Amino acid sequence: MKRRSGSFLVIFFAILMMVIGSSHSWADKPIILGAPLSTAFLYGWAAEKGIKLAVDEINAEGGVKVGNEKRKFSLEVIDTRDLEPGVPVSEALLALEKLILEKKADFIIGGPVRSEAALAAMPLLVKNKKVSILTTGSLTPKYHATVAENPDKFKYCFRISGEAKWMVMGDLVPCLEDIGKKFNLNKLIIMVQDVAHARAGGELLAKTMGDKGWQVLGQPLVFPTGATDFSMGLLDAKKKGAQVIIIWMDMPESAILLKQWHDMKVPALPFGVIIAAAEQPGFWQATDGKGEYCLANVVNAGNVPSEATPWTMKFVDAYKKKYGLEPEGYGTSSSYMAVYALKDAIERAGSIDSDKVADALRKIDLNGVYGRIRFDPKSNQVIPSLDPAEGAVGTVFQWQAGKRIVVFPPKIATGEIKLPPWMNH
Amino acid sequence: MEILIYGVINSVTLVLMALGFTLVYGVSRLPNFAHGALYVVAGYLTWIFMNRLGFNYGLSILFALVSTSLIGAAMYQFVLIRVRGMPISEIIASYAIGLAILEGLRWGGLKGSTFTLPPFIEGSIEILGVSVDFQRLLVVVIGIIMLGLLWVFVTMTKLGLALKGMAQDERAALTLGIDSDRMAVVSMALGSGLAGVAAVTLFPLGNIVVEAGYNVLIMAVAVCIVGGLGSWTGAVLAAFLIGFAQILTVVYLGAHFQVVVALVSIIITLVLRPSGLFGRQKELEERV
Repeated sequence: MKRRSGSFLVIFFAILMMVIGSSHSWADKPIILGAPLSTAFLYGWAAEKGIKLAVDEINAEGGVKVGNEKRKFSLEVIDTRDLEPGVPVSEALLALEKLILEKKADFIIGGPVRSEAALAAMPLLVKNKKVSILTTGSLTPKYHATVAENPDKFKYCFRISGEAKWMVMGDLVPCLEDIGKKFNLNKLIIMVQDVAHARAGGELLAKTMGDKGWQVLGQPLVFPTGATDFSMGLLDAKKKGAQVIIIWMDMPESAILLKQWHDMKVPALPFGVIIAAAEQPGFWQATDGKGEYCLANVVNAGNVPSEATPWTMKFVDAYKKKYGLEPEGYGTSSSYMAVYALKDAIERAGSIDSDKVADALRKIDLNGVYGRIRFDPKSNQVIPSLDPAEGAVGTVFQWQAGKRIVVFPPKIATGEIKLPPWMNH
Repeated sequence: MEILIYGVINSVTLVLMALGFTLVYGVSRLPNFAHGALYVVAGYLTWIFMNRLGFNYGLSILFALVSTSLIGAAMYQFVLIRVRGMPISEIIASYAIGLAILEGLRWGGLKGSTFTLPPFIEGSIEILGVSVDFQRLLVVVIGIIMLGLLWVFVTMTKLGLALKGMAQDERAALTLGIDSDRMAVVSMALGSGLAGVAAVTLFPLGNIVVEAGYNVLIMAVAVCIVGGLGSWTGAVLAAFLIGFAQILTVVYLGAHFQVVVALVSIIITLVLRPSGLFGRQKELEERV
């Protein structure tokens, strides 16, 4: 009897030690966030900085509460190079696979950044059951449309940043209409980069503004990724009497376009629907102020200082403190916010199980940096709005005297749009 | 009229990009595939001298040109000399160096659109109703000056004549006491310096980005293949052909076809006239 009870005690304590040991190791084991980003480009490095800031803040507070334990985040960034000219989509997929299989990422945050790569990555995420939150670069409406078509299959794919359709219909068209009414302008020309989201967006914008009574001058002018001379397009704009130049380019060379626009004194207001170069705080100095009056969309609030929500300036100040400059452009605030959204979902789910976290993400309701964060339950796309109390708000700003002044949407605007002096208005 | 004006500007831009590559190949038969990297290095060094070390623009350009020339000479003296005469190895070695430089710069922080050089002269002018900024006009002026200086150098100076001798017949030049390795070092230094001149002239029009290195290399190779490897006259003519073809493509077909022009011209040349427009020496070799 004694021997049997002794054996029972040994087994009991062995099991107890294993349970304690395993729970101890889980608590120590960080939650790995994999970030596939094109780090040589603004939308990549700004996202990386945003994610790092959020991870550091959360870890400094003790980490994420998973059930009864607190676990810290650990970040693994990989360069997908998908924004670089000529780099095939397969490179980004290989990078993503490496994050999942070698780095053992529990969640994917950030990219792939190029729309084509993000779309191609969806089956890979499904196959590996990895919750992914897109935060930067990929604007294609096809992403959330694909999720909406087959929500069960693509239940792990979320996007917390804006998408092209709302950006055009919800933000830019109303903003352009305001400009048209205010300054009596109605002729526009469209210049886009030769990538999927820009081509699709340019065509959508041309059709929409045409329907709104604007005169769209010709087909969108398509420039290759890496183009360094835009003079023929600008001369065309001048010749045709364009009053607004819509620019949709995520390549850094778009700064050249604005320099040429300034040097040629083209009498049309440049409006960067996506214009990576003009978004950055260093743009003014880099162009010697030649980009003044350029309007630029940064997709989500918080990428430029404003008072969209109480968290906006808190984020801007924290970013400035950590990196010594203001948030740099599209992808910064959304990447930061994605980490907090994930934290919120994990804590509510009480687990890092992909299915449970995906369900929790679909039910999120968080007042974030750029407004109320909720996902559409069918498409997993963040719900947009012009009012930060209702949804995720965008931001259009204009360069004025060396500062990025928010001019749209009106609820968060900090100034009025101005025209360059060489426009006869 | 804009086709003519911007065609000339684009063509001279290509001449500037390709001049250094042609010079090195013409003299030492060395295809310097690090040419694009040296172009970016020159621009970045100018930026560093000006913005980090506080030199004025002129001095920064001078130091950057000298430094780039020395880097080019060192590349030959310490690496390329060992693979001299083995064309495939020369290409692999020089391309590897170029790749290491460019990706090293990217890794070191050369990314984004905030690295720029100021134009030499601000503002623009209307020429027959076409507005052109002064920097682009300066590109044409500097391109012509560089061609002139190069012509004077190779026809009227002892060193230039030695280089010319090397280009014509290396063995005969050796018998006349011309040190071929020394001349190759000089040609690499000069070619790198010319890449630097192109960089400081063209970067004020845009941003100093790593991708420019790859672009310049493709353009330089295209110009040299179409013109005939090693032929300066051919290079100038090819630059004008490709330059105008690009502008006409932008106007009549669309800007996104522009990048294809250079590559298509390489294919057409290799199919119809493998030695290029003025590659006479190679043509003779092919006949033999």
